[in-house]
Amino acid sequence: MSTLHLVRQSAFVTSDLAQCLSMVNKNDTIILMDDGCYNINHTLLRNFLNSGDSCIDINIINTHAKARAIKAIEKINRIEIVDIVKLTFIHTKVITWQ
Amino acid sequence: MKSKNHIITENAHSKAGLAIINSKAPYGSYYGKDALDIALIFGSYEQKVSLFFQGDGVYQLIAGQDGSLLTMKDYLKTFAAFEFYDIEHVYICQQSLHIRQLCPSFHIADVKILDIADFNEVLNQHQHVLRF
Repeated sequence: MSTLHLVRQSAFVTSDLAQCLSMVNKNDTIILMDDGCYNINHTLLRNFLNSGDSCIDINIINTHAKARAIKAIEKINRIEIVDIVKLTFIHTKVITWQ
Repeated sequence: MKSKNHIITENAHSKAGLAIINSKAPYGSYYGKDALDIALIFGSYEQKVSLFFQGDGVYQLIAGQDGSLLTMKDYLKTFAAFEFYDIEHVYICQQSLHIRQLCPSFHIADVKILDIADFNEVLNQHQHVLRF
């Protein structure tokens, strides 16, 4: 039982990321895509990464980040948009935070 | 008043159902209306559907509102029809209420207030999740 979370909005505008992070469980996967890529520099996400919850896999769509001149950081995996297909099969359900 | 454990186990056998998360305030956008329409369509076809109110979505349930003052259809009135569509599970996030300094006074009955951990757990028991 696990969930794939698609985060598509910047936490500097909406509270979607805050709500997402309050609902993640172990073995879940988070994908930052579209304006969600901006969250890479948000304190909410940085604090979450530093909390050491290694059971949560966090990814960013490479092209979406590159297009916005967002530099990837070590703890966040860079993936391509097609990789989402595989991830939807691995997880029981998908929640789109937008 | 049902106990929390009862609420959680009661839902365990609705695993295949649809969960709809409402996260937007009622009148500034059509998200809430769209979520309601989907809930009622699923209810009409006897599909299990549960409603979750989180973040600004909690404003949709607060008593004493009057959308007719805003020259738009007051879709919140339709919430009263949930029982006719067999929509019995309506959950609201306690923290979201608390942050907005809202009293737990709702315009429909049988709203279950859950803290964030239980809210998460009950949501997780559903097969599909749509968020508005």
